[in-house]
Amino acid sequence: MTEKELIGKIRELRQIQPRKDWVSLTKIQILGESARGRASVSFFPFWRPALATVMALGILIGAFGFAQNSLPGDILYSIKKLTEKSQAVFVSKEELPKYNLEIANKRLDELTEIAQTNQVKKLAPAISEFQANMSEAAKSLSEVKGQGVEKIIAQTKKLEENKQKVEEVLATKIETEKFDNALSRLVESEIKDLESRTLTEEQELLLEEAKADFSAGNYSQALEKILILSYQ
Amino acid sequence: MSYPNLMANLRKTFSKIYDSYINKIYRFIFLKVSSQEIAQDLTSETFLKGWESFKNGTKIENPQAFLYRIARNLVTDHYREKGRAQIVSAEYVSIIDPREDIEEAAALKSDIDTVRLALVNLSEDYQNVIIWHYLDDLSITEVAKLLDRTEEATRVLLSRALKGLRNELRDPAA
Repeated sequence: MTEKELIGKIRELRQIQPRKDWVSLTKIQILGESARGRASVSFFPFWRPALATVMALGILIGAFGFAQNSLPGDILYSIKKLTEKSQAVFVSKEELPKYNLEIANKRLDELTEIAQTNQVKKLAPAISEFQANMSEAAKSLSEVKGQGVEKIIAQTKKLEENKQKVEEVLATKIETEKFDNALSRLVESEIKDLESRTLTEEQELLLEEAKADFSAGNYSQALEKILILSYQ
Repeated sequence: MSYPNLMANLRKTFSKIYDSYINKIYRFIFLKVSSQEIAQDLTSETFLKGWESFKNGTKIENPQAFLYRIARNLVTDHYREKGRAQIVSAEYVSIIDPREDIEEAAALKSDIDTVRLALVNLSEDYQNVIIWHYLDDLSITEVAKLLDRTEEATRVLLSRALKGLRNELRDPAA
């Protein structure tokens, strides 16, 4: 065998290569998700695209399902929030205040669960999630007027009650200034509005009670009275 | 620079290193351990160690040399634990260029196996010099650096390695 032939034979060894899907998978394992880029294109065995698609869908659906029970601090939690955000797209402007309050209540439920099960590590993220959502709710509260009040009362009441409970468990007040101010302004404007109208005796009584609630800072109770009043 | 940005940059840089050398390192290791599974394990361990070092601030001037050094050490450790690969699992060689003709594919595969077997029977230095110069296309200068020898010594080593391989192919060791 000549040297040339020998080298030729050696060079045939260039055919030895790792499997492309293993290369992509290993890259992701070592560098983490951010390394996907080029890797994601050849990740799935390309001789089974149908199976790969089904697998991908299955994993996604599973992730969404598991995500719904996740708490702030869990890995799947961001999927849960993403789901909420995408749902929010379909909420109409009138329904938005109620929707935001529902989400805030959801955060409060999560926080309550964390507080009651003593998951100390998740407390901080849960509290900030709750406060963030309360800020969002505050913004849409300022849009509420007239008929919109009725829609938000149930959620606001639930929020106030549960927040008090959690604050007792945690032995600390959770700052939600923006929301409290927004709610206070809402009650104030409703009261002002009613004062300019002619009311029956019963309605007047209810208004006085509402004013008393307002002064005491019991905003959702004040709103409740105002609602009852408007049905008289 | 903020920490997330720094990490992102490090990842980007190492990602390029990964892409550039994954195939070479895999092939290098595979030729020595003769098993796809073991080659995959050791290769991924090589890059994992590389990434750890890189992430922790080790300056890597020559990524190729850096990775080969890790790979060689891992293979040595593997030999120490498992003994030199006695069984050459020929059926797991991935051929990237699947020939339509089965006979041709079989002939090519058997050719590759023959050379592989012969290579495995050479000394580590002979193996390395052949792999680096003829498969990875490294210059004599680069190979000399990897071996920590002079260029002259490397040339001599290379010619001896080829002789050794030819002998193996002519008269395979039992």
